[in-house]
Amino acid sequence: MTHKDAEETDVAPASSVSPLPARADPIVRLTGITKQYGRDAVVDGVSLEVAEGNVLAIVGPSGAGKSTLLRCVNLLERPDHGRIEVHGHAVNAGEPTSERQVAALRRSTGMVFQSFNLFPHLTVLENVSFAQRRVLGRSRQEADSRSRELLARVGLSDKSDTYPQRCSGGQQQRAAIARALALDPKVMLFDEPTSALDPELGLEVLTVMRELANDGMTMIVVSHEMHFAESVADEVAVMADAKVIEQGDPKEIFKNPSHTRTRQFLRAIVER
Amino acid sequence: METYWYILAGLPTTLALSVLAFAIGAVAGIPLMLARRSSLLLLRAPARVVIDLSRAIPPIVWLFIIFFGLAETGLKFTPFQAAVIGLGVVSSAYLAEAYRGGLMAIDKLQWEAGHALGLSQRDNFQYVLAPQAFRVALPTMATFAIALLKDTSLTYTIGVNEILFRANSEAQVGSASSLAILAFAGALYALLSIPTAMVTRRLDAAMRSKVAQ
Repeated sequence: MTHKDAEETDVAPASSVSPLPARADPIVRLTGITKQYGRDAVVDGVSLEVAEGNVLAIVGPSGAGKSTLLRCVNLLERPDHGRIEVHGHAVNAGEPTSERQVAALRRSTGMVFQSFNLFPHLTVLENVSFAQRRVLGRSRQEADSRSRELLARVGLSDKSDTYPQRCSGGQQQRAAIARALALDPKVMLFDEPTSALDPELGLEVLTVMRELANDGMTMIVVSHEMHFAESVADEVAVMADAKVIEQGDPKEIFKNPSHTRTRQFLRAIVER
Repeated sequence: METYWYILAGLPTTLALSVLAFAIGAVAGIPLMLARRSSLLLLRAPARVVIDLSRAIPPIVWLFIIFFGLAETGLKFTPFQAAVIGLGVVSSAYLAEAYRGGLMAIDKLQWEAGHALGLSQRDNFQYVLAPQAFRVALPTMATFAIALLKDTSLTYTIGVNEILFRANSEAQVGSASSLAILAFAGALYALLSIPTAMVTRRLDAAMRSKVAQ
């Protein structure tokens, strides 16, 4: 599919098995994604769409394949079957993929990891500026000024010249968000961004994410933060056993889950 | 007194030998390490043989092979040249392994973070992985540098005019007590080694904190 086709959208192609019609232009479209390790499918034929400006939360028990699915979006994991489209850049599993295609997908997405993964040998500012210079070709001055802007936005203006290990986990994760945003991604991917943080530091990160969502950033968030999913996400997908078993309005699903497995999972959260 | 000045005058040769051999190893160790890590068996297997052999054969045997052995085939080196080449070969293998160990210590999540940012394979290696790997490898490299400095004394056997060569010849002539002369030579090596060890210990502590474990 070409970029032009992607912009026409609304009418999903016949091959799409999307369980929900997109409300606006889908900027991410995953079709029949399957990822196998050996003979076990970790992700089994999942199709999802995310409309521009929407937040999709993916929830579900550990081992359901949430993170693997998310990592397929920017090809950190290569799916065995299916098709990935982000902002008009498409990659089909099983077809040879060029470095340029991979780069285009990764340029359209920004990713935030559970363990932050800042570069420990660079200061916070350098962490945010570095890829801008190498990937986008911005000058040091341009990159640094953009970085400072973003660090201010995530509340880290005073940490520019600090090394990551001198920052709290919450600060590191906010810096990691700034680092991803610095490349002007179309879609932000969050892989359990608060799982390694205590509730207080997690809240700092969630607050930044909430603001980001309010500013209209398209986001896919894998998380166990149900309150966040309910109050921020436009849509929630529940995954269990490698499949999306339920999908829709988070308030509906959390109030009135139709699937036994969803009910069981939600009860475990409520009863904690 | 003259005896000791004479021995001390061997110091620049010892230092030059150490620095040159280490420099050869530091440079040649990089392609050797890359080949050793390659996914192509055609590169990986020979690199492994070269590294293993270079380390398995004692340095003094390398020196003899290069100086006496190769002379038979018409490849003639001065003692100093042979010493630089021989110790350079050994250094390349040890430093390739030090680099490789450093890279293996870097979490694979650092690769992923770089990839997710869209860095090219090369940029990711050069700017993200290598600087961190270098920090991890540094103590191993320093330990090797000290061992190398001491191993330069082996080159007296092929006639390199360094500290031990001079000390030995002075002791043979009997210009002073053998014990005093050799103790002086020993003290010179210690004077070079100990500060190197101290500096690297401090560097190591400072750098280790800036690496993803």
